[in-house]
Amino acid sequence: MKRREFIVAGTAATALTLTTRLAFAEAGRIDWYTTSDQNILDFWTNIVKPKFEAANPGITINLVDAGDNAGAQAIAERALAALGSSADPQVDMIEGFDARQPVGAVDKGLWVDFKAAGLSNYSKINPLALQIDGMPQNLPYRGSQVLLAFDTTKLAAADVPKTFADLIAWIKANPGQFIYNRPNKGGSGGNFVRRAIYEANGKDPSVFKVDNYSAEAGAKALEPAWALLNDLAPSLMDKGAYTSGNSQSIQLLGQGAVTMIPAWSDQTLAAIAQGALPETTGIVQLQDLGFPGGFSRFTVPSNGVNKDAALKLADFVLSEEIQSAVLTELGGFPGVSWDYVSADLREKFKDVIPASIPVFPGGDWEKAINEGWYRAVAPNIDPKS
Amino acid sequence: MTTTPAGDIAVATSSAGDIVGTRNRWYLGLLLVAAPVLLVCWLIIYPIVSAVIQTIWLPDGAGGFHLSFSTYAFFFSDDYSLANLWLTLWTTFVCAALLLVVCLPIAIYLRFSVGRLPAYVQALAIFPMFVPSIILSYAFIRVLGPNGMVDILLNAVHLPKMRSPYLTPWGPVIGLVWDHIPLTVLILLSGLGNVSNQSIEAARDVGAGRWTVLWHIILPRIGNAILVAASFAVLGIFSAFTIPYVLGPAAPEMMGPYMQRTFRELYDPTNAITQAVVSFGFCIVFGLFYVRSVARNQKT
Repeated sequence: MKRREFIVAGTAATALTLTTRLAFAEAGRIDWYTTSDQNILDFWTNIVKPKFEAANPGITINLVDAGDNAGAQAIAERALAALGSSADPQVDMIEGFDARQPVGAVDKGLWVDFKAAGLSNYSKINPLALQIDGMPQNLPYRGSQVLLAFDTTKLAAADVPKTFADLIAWIKANPGQFIYNRPNKGGSGGNFVRRAIYEANGKDPSVFKVDNYSAEAGAKALEPAWALLNDLAPSLMDKGAYTSGNSQSIQLLGQGAVTMIPAWSDQTLAAIAQGALPETTGIVQLQDLGFPGGFSRFTVPSNGVNKDAALKLADFVLSEEIQSAVLTELGGFPGVSWDYVSADLREKFKDVIPASIPVFPGGDWEKAINEGWYRAVAPNIDPKS
Repeated sequence: MTTTPAGDIAVATSSAGDIVGTRNRWYLGLLLVAAPVLLVCWLIIYPIVSAVIQTIWLPDGAGGFHLSFSTYAFFFSDDYSLANLWLTLWTTFVCAALLLVVCLPIAIYLRFSVGRLPAYVQALAIFPMFVPSIILSYAFIRVLGPNGMVDILLNAVHLPKMRSPYLTPWGPVIGLVWDHIPLTVLILLSGLGNVSNQSIEAARDVGAGRWTVLWHIILPRIGNAILVAASFAVLGIFSAFTIPYVLGPAAPEMMGPYMQRTFRELYDPTNAITQAVVSFGFCIVFGLFYVRSVARNQKT
């Protein structure tokens, strides 16, 4: 990945130097940055921007790819440095960003508090999304969740497992037809592993909190999960192989090497649209407890020249029009409650609508999972096989 | 074939041969190499020293630091780490051996044949140099992966599917060998430049067969090139990242992906640096081979 990252970072750096040289914030032009992948930038370019500009004559959006989080953080630091002076931060919105950074920005009032900003659509936001994050300076607007993608030519939709126990039974009954990626190399395998951890701990996501990790709690919660996954390993592709990323799993499903994989909802729909996965790919969410996922958020700096226009955009993004497009065009989940998308979409996506979106905490738990899985589960594969 | 560069140098350094007038300005030479030497000290030597210090001068928990080899003791007593090190050494040596087996015939062919075909073969042998390893990795999955092109071809002639090397230790071996062919061929080819056509013709005249020529005439002249090619291959493969990351098994993993994972996902810089120092220790042995052979070359 190094080379690709380098190219992306290099391109972003070039783009940044160009924009800082040539661009001065203009009244009525929202300077928008993103840390997300190309499919998100395409969504904003092709859907959000034209619709918003048509609805708000005189306001334009300048979409800029910040490359990654580090790129956006540099932009945010510039805004923080400009705070309290008359300097122009040249940024009005950062997509895919967390207001917890840069350090101290919230205390100094860099980010707009959306709760108090008077957005007409704020009350529509899925309470689950607010509860997961709990940071009023972050505005959740789209969700993504891991689900099962499968080959309908080999497995009829009616026979697809609906619970995790059924899934395990199916994997064992169909050896070699399932693969997930290493939990640290992409969220699809990572959240499959986390779902297995829930399964081994009474399917109760509330057991895991960002601050309740200890070595004993970790061993008690994780060891049964490792046993469960080890038990599964001989039934995986090549008797216990694990791909090194989300897209490699999708590639194996596309080549017909396996019948079912865990995959991100948006990535799967994009892969089907682009032909990387055939039209005959089916997707399904577990009904007893869904695979974990999360919400993406954006932030608005309080000192941007076009703050009011940016808040108008924020409100627009939460409207039914854009939230429905998140489902249909992006393959993500709406950031608003399901009641605020159109009824026919609710019906169409009922198979993937989760009863809940469990979110596994990061921090020490994540570290323990990454380390524990490699030591306890991964070596199952015989290097001489 | 009659010029002797060493003889020219001898003339230039003799008292009568101070043609360019540098004899009393010995510092000029040092100034010329100062920039690269300083860069090496700053970007390579200093990080090495600082890395070694960081792994043995550990915080003692009370705000102070003390000398400790505990991270090394952990590495060499931890089965998981040792399995990773072992896999890295295995991959490196298998790749180096395969590279010589594959590249020596190509280089010999290119050296001794004339015409248009060798030019195409050379272009083909150099081609992997222009393919980024991430693209190579995904192409590998398409061709050698399960239900890939090879499987489709086998199926077309009613043969059973092969066991794909993807996600096994052989995946990185195949990818790395392909990736390192250009450099190895070029180094061996330059070594074969030392073998004169006359010496081979002379051997043929007295009745030497092909293998005798290879064993007694060609190989002795290119021993140094083989050593250099092997050192370069070993150094490149030991620290390989992308290909083992995408094509290799989850565990054991090669040192490159292992270090990266320890550093970025386990937030454990001290152990990641320890792994790096251990890798460096192995690489420096091959680096010394290379330096020695270069030094020996310059003496003769």
